[in-house]
This record gives sequence, structure tokens and C-alpha cells, in this order.
Amino acid sequence: MDRAEQQGAAAADATATRRQLDIRDHVEPADYQTIGTPFVDDAKMTARNVNVFYGEKQAITNISLDIGRNEVIAMIGPSGCGKSTFLRTLNRMNDIIPICRVEGEFALDGEDIYGGDQDTVLLRARVGMVFQKPNPFPKSIYENVAYGPRIHGLAHNKAEMDEIVEDSLRRASLFNEVKDQLDKPGTGLSGGQQQRLCIARAIAVSPEVILMDEPCSALDPIATARIEELIDELRENYTIAIVTHSMQQAARVSQRTAYFHMGKLIEVGDTKQIFTMPRHELTENYITGRFG
Amino acid sequence: MENTLQEQHTSQRYNAELEGLRSSVLTMGGLVEQQCRQALEALVQGDEELARTVARSDHQVNEMELEISAQCTDILARRQPAARDLRMVVAIIRMVANLERIGDEAAKVGRMARKLADGRDRESYCSEPQHLGQGASDMLRGALDAFARLDVDGAVAIIARDPEIDREFKTLTRLLMTHMMEQPQRVKNMLRVNSCARAFERIGDHAVNLCEEVIYLVEGSDVRHLSIEEIRERHSSWPA
Amino acid sequence: MSKQQSLKATEAIQASLKKRYARERRFQWYGRLAVLTGFVFLFILLFDIVSKGAPAFTQHYIKVNVDLSQEVLGLDPGASEQEIFSADYLGAIKTSLREMFPGATGRKEKQQLYRLLSIGAEYDLRDKVLADPGLIGHSSELWLRAHSEAGSYLKGQVTAGTAESERKVKDLQMTWLDQLRDQGRTESRFNTTFFTEGDSREPEMAGIRVALYGSFFTLLVTFAIAFPIGVAAAVYLEEFAPRNRITDLIEININNLAAVPSIVFGLLGLAVFINFFELPRSAPLVGGIVLSLMTLPTIIITSRAAIQSVSPSIREAALGVGASKLQTVIHHVLPVAMPGILTGSIIGMAQALGESAPLLMIGMVAFIMDAPAGVTDPATVLPVQIYLWADSPERGFTEKTSAAIMVLMGFLILMNALAVYLRRRFERK
Repeated sequence: MDRAEQQGAAAADATATRRQLDIRDHVEPADYQTIGTPFVDDAKMTARNVNVFYGEKQAITNISLDIGRNEVIAMIGPSGCGKSTFLRTLNRMNDIIPICRVEGEFALDGEDIYGGDQDTVLLRARVGMVFQKPNPFPKSIYENVAYGPRIHGLAHNKAEMDEIVEDSLRRASLFNEVKDQLDKPGTGLSGGQQQRLCIARAIAVSPEVILMDEPCSALDPIATARIEELIDELRENYTIAIVTHSMQQAARVSQRTAYFHMGKLIEVGDTKQIFTMPRHELTENYITGRFG
Repeated sequence: MENTLQEQHTSQRYNAELEGLRSSVLTMGGLVEQQCRQALEALVQGDEELARTVARSDHQVNEMELEISAQCTDILARRQPAARDLRMVVAIIRMVANLERIGDEAAKVGRMARKLADGRDRESYCSEPQHLGQGASDMLRGALDAFARLDVDGAVAIIARDPEIDREFKTLTRLLMTHMMEQPQRVKNMLRVNSCARAFERIGDHAVNLCEEVIYLVEGSDVRHLSIEEIRERHSSWPA
Repeated sequence: MSKQQSLKATEAIQASLKKRYARERRFQWYGRLAVLTGFVFLFILLFDIVSKGAPAFTQHYIKVNVDLSQEVLGLDPGASEQEIFSADYLGAIKTSLREMFPGATGRKEKQQLYRLLSIGAEYDLRDKVLADPGLIGHSSELWLRAHSEAGSYLKGQVTAGTAESERKVKDLQMTWLDQLRDQGRTESRFNTTFFTEGDSREPEMAGIRVALYGSFFTLLVTFAIAFPIGVAAAVYLEEFAPRNRITDLIEININNLAAVPSIVFGLLGLAVFINFFELPRSAPLVGGIVLSLMTLPTIIITSRAAIQSVSPSIREAALGVGASKLQTVIHHVLPVAMPGILTGSIIGMAQALGESAPLLMIGMVAFIMDAPAGVTDPATVLPVQIYLWADSPERGFTEKTSAAIMVLMGFLILMNALAVYLRRRFERK
């Protein structure tokens, strides 16, 4: 059958092409162009021409990206691609690393967040963060949630604080599970509950944006599903940027997806489009599991 | 672009599964194509034995359809394919359904051919769908080639041939009606021949569907229910 | 082929197994031997100290029928308290002893007779009379402290087996003591003097009260200075200081400081605090400052380690909700690091408690009888007291030395136990 021959020929062609252009070494030049739609009309946060260096090493090269209001944007890419680093520039968490240097323009609602008059404490109250490993304070559940509002002076009396704590726990859909044990240590909860507690803690200071750095990587599938459900609910009131190693998770929770590769933002687009017909070869290879 | 499908996944087994799926479809396609050609031959030549074979070979195609569907479900469940892999699995699920229907149509022609085999004066009318059947079979073959090579241009070219088949079918129907009026005693057989022609016309339509799936697989753009002009228009806007 | 290979590999492994296990067993035995040796030495040391020191916790008393008539005491009727205080109690005791043992006639024999009782017996008697003036005017049977040499005979430390010239308890005294014991006039009681008195030339009157107070005040000063400074330094170096050559230098110096011989700190204290700042000599204040200098590096190093071991995720969490750096450290890092910091501090303090060399340099080696009331009063500390007593020739001081060591070790164990307890308690949270 000659069709089999054609097939063989196609395969041979492919091998030849691959020899010419080894995808693994195929990296965009420094003045590369991000494919897709990095900019949106109604941007909550904007980042322009971002470069990040760890000492001599450049971790992020010339990334420009908008985060739209009330959207969930997922950042995916292989390990060391700079997605977490980029996320942490958004609330200046990289400031605590002495050798880290950040260049570029960042704005939250049009305000420069790296400007001299911008206070990191205020910024981090407006741009909250949830981390990879659930990291509740070794204090009671109540204290975990109340800590942020307390240091920022958001509650004027006990009743107000109780309300904030209850409301935050409800929004994190944790209240019903812990309402009888608010004085128990937060570290005694299960992994998934701990992570929801951390989300409640982040919500308690009424942030506008929530950054999530692989929030489910330490959780089992059921806990993961609950967090994803929660992310979907939170979208109504918050803007969420989530870094994830799980492509399925990115596909499930986000409206837009950004693909990072070796410190560069290769492609951004509607999640649906990225996962059914990505336009860049590297994106395609990553999400289909080639050269992952 | 079309060659990158051959690239290696990190998981070799996944790679093998996708390759296996692809070659199963090609095998099934080959079988169906052979069925079509044999059905046509049985009809035109009045080969009753061949007609019987074709009419019965249907179950083999059905089995393959089940098997490939199961493979697709398996890959979806265990690999969660994305992007091109996802499109390929989805396209194949739809393609096997089309192939199975083509098989049904061929079997139908086979059954008709058996009944027509001992008809009087059969040469005068049974050879009429020869050209139509040939055209439909060529379209099917072209569609399968386009799938094997992931050749969008080839697929578009096949889609473009469908109106020709439709025209031919209409002409044939008119011709048969004239025959019927001339020879009312042979109306039954004429109708049989007409339904054979109808079957080949359907096979052409299914071949078009197959080509649309090939375009979806390669380009990610769903061109079903679009006219050939619209498809061409889109095709020209696709990045080279 | 591969099956053959794996078979071969299995054989080779089996062949080497015996050797490997033997080596492992040998190594385990070396370890056990080492631990055993350590235990043996520790046991010998403890046994020596306890066996020597235990008798110091008891003291013998002798019941004497003391004639407290006014003539003997040399008091007029209706004497004032002052007069009662300065009455001739020694005479009364001597008279009573002579009456009890009329056989003692010669001057030397009388001397030996009087030396059955402690010099302190006079004061015991005085205190008893002052507490109950009704005793005056008649004789009463009273328990009076025995002399330490007499005590050591009664405790069985000295026997008649030793030649008379080589022991301080003479044969005659022994017969008297035997008589007294037979009459039920001797008694062994718990030695409260050891804890309630200061130093003394007489072993039966010497106690560790001054040293305990001195140690307490010294440690108080050490803790008050070293803990806040040490923790603050550790927090700054760990959380705030930039990493550069200067901080590296500081770190190296702190580590080196921990290895400086303690007597050097004593010299420093002498030169700076006493000679230059003219702080009082022999005072716990100066001792505390010197010891805090010595303890600082330990506290800084252990505190830094404790702070370092706090998971960075806690810091991130706090910073992530908008806490400032200082709030992060005070609200979250320090509470988590506290057990480690406290453990380090307590171990540093225990070190300071056992230190004597630098304190010798600043004069805390004086002979002091009265307990200090504050940090500027002259005092001595337990290890120095031990050092002093170890130097004294009297048999009674040998047991006091060991007893003081037992007390010191008791406190050290207590402090280490506290460190362990604190760590356990905080870690469970």
C-alpha cells in the first residue's frame, strides 16, 4: 500500500527537519515578539519591558503583559522559565532577595508600583499572595486570618474583626469546616484546608489582586478541585494571577494563559485557544508534552 | 508544520499510542476504500460473488470503528491530550464515524449489486454509476491521503470536487428517470441503481467530512458547514 | 544472558555480604565501647563526688547540760538584752563540759575537751538564750554543734585505726565521744548551716549562701545584658544586615570570640571595668558584665541558627499580607525561633554559671561571710567557692567542696532540663 510509504516519507521528512532545527535549542532572540494578546483593554495590572536578574544571571527577558480586571490569568511553562519570578515581581516579593534586580515598568490601576513613593507594605496589602506550600502562621485559625487586618488597622473593635474573619473564611469556603475550632492552631488543619486558610488570610486584607504561586502543588486532587472551585468564585471580586505546573489546572481555572519559556513570554492568549490551537511551536510542544 | 506531528513526546509510550491510533485509522480507511471499489466493480461487472463479499464485509469495518473509538477514549482518559494531539483525537473520533458510514453505504451498494446481478439487460443501466462511483472513490482516497500526509491543500482540493459529484448524481438521476419512462417494467431495478448512485454521492459527502477533519486537525479551525469559497477564503488567510 | 549476569551479581553480593556485616558489627561495638568508657568515667566522677560530698549534708550535735546560772554567765538580775547578748556563753559551755567530764584536768586535756564542740556552739547557745530568756538561771539539756573533727569521728570518717599523730581527733576525745554516743548525747541532723551561712574558717560553720547569692546576682546581670544584646545582634545580622564583607568579618569575629579563653575576658574586665570605669571590685555587677561578654557569642550564634531554621515560608506569608520587615520578625520569626534562642541562652548561662577563671581576675575570690544584698556588694560565686575550699587543708572542707560541686551540678542539670523542657514545650505548638 503506497499510503504507508507516504507515511514513512513524512516521518523521514520530519526527522530531517528536526535535525535542522532542534527545538530544544531553539530560543527566541532577545528582541523577540510575544505571540498572541499580551495586552488587554481593561487592565488591572500592567508590566512593560520587564527584565529580572539574579546577580549576573538574567531570569526574565523583556516581558510585557497585562493582567485584566476580574480575570484569572494562568502562567505556565517548564521549570525555571521565570513564571514564578514574574509573578513575584507583581507584589515586589523579589525585593527580599538581595541579589535580585528588577527592571521595567509596573502599574496597578495605572499607578507605578516600583516608584519611589510606592510603599511595599501597601502594595502587598493590595496585591495579596498565596504560596506553593500552605504556610499558615503557627497560631490559631482566627489569628491567622486576623493578623493582616490587625497590622493594617482594618478593624476598630472585636466585633468588626470577628466579622472580617468570618467573612474571609466564608469566601474561602472554609468557615463551615472550622467555625467550632477557630482557636485551634492553623497548622493542625489538612493540607487543603491550610491552603484555603492561606487564601482566607490573603482575602482578609481586601486585596484587589491575588497572586497564587502553584497553590495546589502540595494538595491531593480533591483539595485541588476545591481550590479551583474557589478560584472560580473569587474571580467575581478579585483579579487572580496563578502560576501552575499543571496544564490541566491552567486549562480549568483560567480565562487567559501565558506561556513562559527560558525567561521569555512566548505566547499569551485565551485559554481555549492556547489549549486547542496554540500558535507558537514552543507552546504547542510544551502543552502536548513534547520536550517537556 | 505538518511534519511536527512526528516529533517525539517525552513519553515514548504516548507517542506510540498516537502513532498506533493514526495507523489504525489509515488501515480502516484502506479497508473502506477497498470496499467502495469492490462495490462499484460488483455493480458494474454484475459480479454476484464479489457483491456478496462486499455486503458482508461490513462487520469488519464496524469492529474497527469500535476498536478505534476505544483507543481514543483511552487516550483522552489517560493522557489528557492538548492542542494538536487533542485535535487529532477529536478529529479521529469524528472520522471513524464517517468511515463507518462510508462502509455502510458500500455495503448497501453491495446488496443492490447482488440483486441487480441477474437483471435482464443490466449492462445498459448498471454501468451508468461507473463514473460517479469512480469519482467518489477517488475523493475518499484523496481524503485518506490528505490525512496521511496532513496535507491541507490536498484536503481543500478534495472538498472542491464535491459539487462535481453532486452534479453528476443529478445528471444520473435524470438519466435514470428517462430510462424508467422508457422502460417502466425496469423501474424497480432503476430505483436500485439510483440508490447506488445516491450511496456514492453520500460517500463523496463523507469524504468531504474527512477532509474537513484533516483541516481541523492541522489548522485548528473548524470548517464544517462552510462553503468551499468560505474555506478557501479562510485558507488564504492562514499563515503559511 | 541478562539472567546469568544477574545471577552472577547475586553471587558476588552474597560473597561480600558477610564481610560487610562483620564490619558493621565491629563498628557498632567500637561505638558501644566508646559510650561505655564515657559512662564509666562519668560514674567514677559522680561516685567520687557524691561519696565525698554526701556527709557534708549532715552535721552532728552534742547534748550538753549547760548551767546557765547568772553567776556563770556573769549577769545581774534584770539584765538588758544587750547584756544578755554579750554574756559569757563560752565560759558557760566550758564549765558545763568540765562538769560532764571531770577527768579532764590538765590544760591540754581541757583544750581537747573544749574542742569537742564547735566555736559556733557559743553562738548557738547565745541565740537559744536570746530566743528564750527563761533559760537563764538554771541548767538545761541543750543540743550544741559539734566540732567538725569530732563530727568526722562520729560520721566514721576517722577511726582509731589511724596513728594518733596522723589524725586531729585525739584518743582521749574519742573516748569522750564514745561515752557521749553511748549516753545518747550525740545526734546527726541535716546540715542547714551549709545553706544558710557564708564562708568561714571553721568547716562546720562554712556555707554556700554567699556563693549562691553571688551566682544568682551574677547570672542575673549576665542574662540582663547578654540576652537582649545577643538576640538583637542575631536578629539584625540574620534579617536586616546586608551580606557584604563587613558582615562577613563580623560573623568571623563572633565565631572567634566564642573560642577565646575565658580568662582573657577576666583580664579585660579587670582592665576596663575595674581599673578604668572604677566599678566595685568583687561585685556580681562586674562579674556579670564579664560573663555576659563571654556568653554573648554563644547566644548570638545559637540565636542566629534558631532564626535561620525558621521556615522562609513563614516570612513570605507575613510579608505577603503586608507586614513590615520588623513586624514579620517580631510577630512571626522570633516566636518560632524562641525555643532555640532560649535553649542557646540557657546553655550559655549554664556555661557562665560554671565559670571561675575570669571571676578570679576581677576579685570575686574574696573571703566573704555576709550575703550580698545587691549586684554591687562584694560576693563570690559557686565555682570560686569550690576553688577556695578545695585549697583548704581541713578535712571538713573536703566534703564541703564535693557538696558544693553537687549543688553546682544540680543547678546545671536544672538549667539544662529547663532548656530541654522549653524546647519540647514550644516545639509542640
